[in-house]
Amino acid sequence: KRRRTEPVDIEDRLESLITRVGEKSTSSLESNLEGLASVLEADLPNYKVKIMRILCGCVVDLPEKQTVYTTLVGLLNAKNYTCGGEFVEMLVRNLKESLKSGEWENARMMVRFLADLVNCHVLVAASVLQMFDNFVEVTLEDNIPQVRSDVYVYMVLSSLPWVGRELFEKKETELNKLLDTVDAYISKRQKIHVPALRVWSVDEPHPQEEYLDCLWAQIRNLRSNKWLEKQINRPYMAFDSVLCDALQHTLPQIIPPSHNDEMVYPIPRIVFRLFDYTDVPEGTVLPGSHAIERYLIEEQIDRIIHTNYKERKDCAAALLSYPVKNLPLNYMIVEVMFAQLFQLPCAPYIELFYGSTLIELCKLQPSSMPQVLAQASEMLFERIDHMHTICIERLVHWFAYHLSNFHFRWSWEDWSEVTSMDIGMPKAMFVREVLLKCMRFSYHQNIVDSVPATFTTLLPEKPASEYKYDKEGAGSLPGTMAAHQLMSAIKAKCTPDEAAQLLRELPNKFPNGEDNDNSTYHPLKIDVFVSTLLFLGSKSFSHSFAALAKFYPNLKSLAETEEAQIYMLKVVYSTWRTHQQMMVVLVDKMLRTEVVQCQAVANWIFSESMQKDFTSFFVWEILHGTIKKMTKQVNQLQSEVDDARDRLDAAKRKEADGMEIFSDDEVPTEEMIERMEERLETATSQQKNLFLIIFQRFIMVLTEHLAKCESAGIDYNTPWYKWVIERLQHIFLQHHELVFKYINTLESLLFTSDIDIHILEVFQQFCALRS
Amino acid sequence: SRHDQEKALLKSTTLYIGNLSYHTTEEQIHELFGRAGDVKRIIMGLDKVRKTPCGFCFVEYYTRLDAENALRYINGTRLDDRIVRTDWDAGFKEGRQFGRG
Repeated sequence: KRRRTEPVDIEDRLESLITRVGEKSTSSLESNLEGLASVLEADLPNYKVKIMRILCGCVVDLPEKQTVYTTLVGLLNAKNYTCGGEFVEMLVRNLKESLKSGEWENARMMVRFLADLVNCHVLVAASVLQMFDNFVEVTLEDNIPQVRSDVYVYMVLSSLPWVGRELFEKKETELNKLLDTVDAYISKRQKIHVPALRVWSVDEPHPQEEYLDCLWAQIRNLRSNKWLEKQINRPYMAFDSVLCDALQHTLPQIIPPSHNDEMVYPIPRIVFRLFDYTDVPEGTVLPGSHAIERYLIEEQIDRIIHTNYKERKDCAAALLSYPVKNLPLNYMIVEVMFAQLFQLPCAPYIELFYGSTLIELCKLQPSSMPQVLAQASEMLFERIDHMHTICIERLVHWFAYHLSNFHFRWSWEDWSEVTSMDIGMPKAMFVREVLLKCMRFSYHQNIVDSVPATFTTLLPEKPASEYKYDKEGAGSLPGTMAAHQLMSAIKAKCTPDEAAQLLRELPNKFPNGEDNDNSTYHPLKIDVFVSTLLFLGSKSFSHSFAALAKFYPNLKSLAETEEAQIYMLKVVYSTWRTHQQMMVVLVDKMLRTEVVQCQAVANWIFSESMQKDFTSFFVWEILHGTIKKMTKQVNQLQSEVDDARDRLDAAKRKEADGMEIFSDDEVPTEEMIERMEERLETATSQQKNLFLIIFQRFIMVLTEHLAKCESAGIDYNTPWYKWVIERLQHIFLQHHELVFKYINTLESLLFTSDIDIHILEVFQQFCALRS
Repeated sequence: SRHDQEKALLKSTTLYIGNLSYHTTEEQIHELFGRAGDVKRIIMGLDKVRKTPCGFCFVEYYTRLDAENALRYINGTRLDDRIVRTDWDAGFKEGRQFGRG
C-alpha cells in the first residue's frame, strides 16, 4: 500500500491539539497544558488569528472543558500580554454579535468564560463586575418582556459559581449591590407561565421550581458558604505562581443591545427532579436541590449531551467518564436524561436519542445502569397520576421502546393494581398504551405471553380487519351485492372506471339501510368501496397503499365534500378499529394524497363517533400528524414562492445589466408567482382555520363537561378532564411557534373572557411563555 | 461509476436495513424507523423464489436529516430481538428487493 506522504496541515494539527487538550491522557493535565502553551507561543507569530479562532470556538463548543481553556488562555497571556488582549477582544466581539442575533446559549458560555478569566489573571475583576452590572440593569428597563430580563440575569447568575469568590474577595460591596438588584428582580417576577411547563401537577415529593428561582436559591446558598463550591475543577490553581505575575486586561464596555419586537428570547423552564438523597445507594451523596453542586453537575451533564448527542456511543461513554467523587453519577445522568425528555414545550433532541442512549448506557454499565433505570421507571409509574399527559405520552414511547430492546421483560406483577382500575385512570391508561406500543414493535401473541394472565383486561385486541359484507347475515345489507361484485372485479384487475360503474346504482342510504337525507355525500357508496378496498389490501401497509393508489380517482370523487371525507374516515375506523397503527398510516396517506383535508380529520376526531376513543393516544398521534402535514405544506409553498421571487429578481437584475437571459434558466413570470402566492394564501388560511377548528372544538367539549359537572354538583376534575385539558395544552405547546402567529386571532375569536376560566387559563399560561 | 455512486450516497434519503428476522413485518419496521422521522416508503427484501421476507429492507425518508437520525440512533439496536444494521443506500430501484433465493 502507498503510504500517505503529504504533510499534515499545520492548522489542522493546531486545531486537533487544542480541541483535544483535557481529554484522558497518560500525562497530567498540567504538563499537557504547559506543553500546549509553549507550542502555541511558538506558533503565535505565524498562526495567531487561527489560534484565536480555534480558542473562541472551544468557548462555545466545548464549555464542559471551560476551565482547561481559561487556564490555557491565562498561560498564553502570561507569556504574551498582547496575545491575551487580542483574544479577549475577539471573544467580546463574538459575544456582542451573539447578543445581537439572539444566540443566547453561546452568549452565556462566553460570559461565563470571561468571568472565569478573572481567576486566571487575564481580566480585572472590576471590569467583569461592570459587565454584570450592565446586564442586570436590563431588569430596570420599561416595557420589555420578562423573558428578556430573565436571559440577562441568567447569564450573570450562571457565571457566579466560577467568579463569585474572586468578586467577594476583591469587590464585596459592589457584588452585594449587584445581588440586591437581582434579589429585587427575582421577587417581582411574574410566574403565570409556570403551570404550562410543569411535568407534575403537584409539588410532592419534589417542588418544581422555575429555573431562575431555583438557580437564585442555589446562588444564595453559595453566597452563604462564602462562595466556596466543591465541584469545579480549576486547573489554573496549579499555575498560580506563573499566573499571578501576569498583567491583566480591562474588559471594554458591553452594553446589551436594546429590545426590538423581532428579538426571540429563550422560553423559561422548570427544574425537573426525580431523585433525592434517600433514593441513592449508601456511600454516595446526592447534593440537595438547592446546593450549587447539583446545578453544576446537571449543567455539566447537559453540556456533555449537547457536545455528543450525534454519536450516542460517545455520548454514553463521555457521560459515564465524568469524574465525580462519592456522587451517584448514574442517578444524576438518568435524572438529566429524563429532565430533557420531559422538557416542555419540546425536548432538546429527538425522543429517539434518549431511548437509544439509555440503551447504550445500560450496555456500558450492565451491573448498575439497568437497576437505576428500573428504579426510575418504578418511581415515574408511582407518580403518573400527577404527570402531564404530554410527558406520559413520551414516557410510554420510551418505555415500550426500551422494553423492545430487552425482550419485553419487566416485573409487571408489581403493577397489578392497574388490573382492577378503571381504564381511564392514568396508571391503567399508561400500562395499556405501553402494551399497545409494545405490540407495534412485536406481535400480539408475544405481548400476551409477556404479561401475567391477570393483565388480560388491559391487553389490546388482536389487530384484524373487519369487513361487514363477508359476515353472516350480510345478505340483508343494501351494499352486499355491490361489494361482492366489486371484490371480484378488483381481484380480476379492473380499472378505476369499471369499479366506479359497479357503484352507480347504489341508493343514497347508510350501510344499515337507513336513508341519508344529506345529498352532499353518499355513505353507502363510500362504505362499499372503501371497506372493500381496505379489506383487499389488508395484508400489509404496502398492499393497502397500492390499493389506495390504484383507485385514487374513485376515492377522490367519492370524497368531494367534507361530510364525505369524514364518512370515509369513519369507514377506515370501522375497518381497522383494532389496528391503530394501520389507521394512523392510512389517514397519513389519505392526507398526503389529498383524498381528505386536514379540517375533515380534525372534525372527525372531535365527532360523536370518536368519543369512545377520544382519550386514546393514537387519536392524538393522528391529530398532531395532521397539523404537522398542514405546516409542511405551508412551508413548502412559502419556500417555492421565495425561490421563484429570487429567480425573477435575479433575472431582472441581469436584464438591467444588459446580460443575456438563457431560456433554459426557467425564469418564472409575475403571473406564475401570483398564482403561487394565491396557493400559499389558501394554504395559510387553511392552516389558521385548522387551528381555529381544533381550539373551538376543544372549548366546546370542555365547556360541556364543566357545565354538566356543575349542574350535577360533582367534581369536574375527572380522569377524562385531565386527558382532555392537557391535550389542549399539548396542541399549544407542540406547535407553539405556529400558534404564536395566530395568537391575536385566537384571543379575539375564541379565548375571550366569557369562556370558562379553566379553559381560558390554559391560553393565558401559554401566552405568558413569551411575555 | 463509483464516483456517481458516492455522490448519490451523500445525498441519499434511503437506508439499507440488514440482519432482520424473516418474521419481522413492514409494520414493525415502520414503527421503529418512524421514530426517526416521516417514512416515505419501506420496501421489504424478498426471497427471489418464494417471494417471502428474507432479512433486509430499504427505508426511504422524505428528508436527509431524518435518515441521518435513523442511522445515528437505530443502527445497532434491537428489533424483534435482532441487532439491526443500517447503512446508506444509493436509492431503491425495481428488482433490488430480491435477495438470496
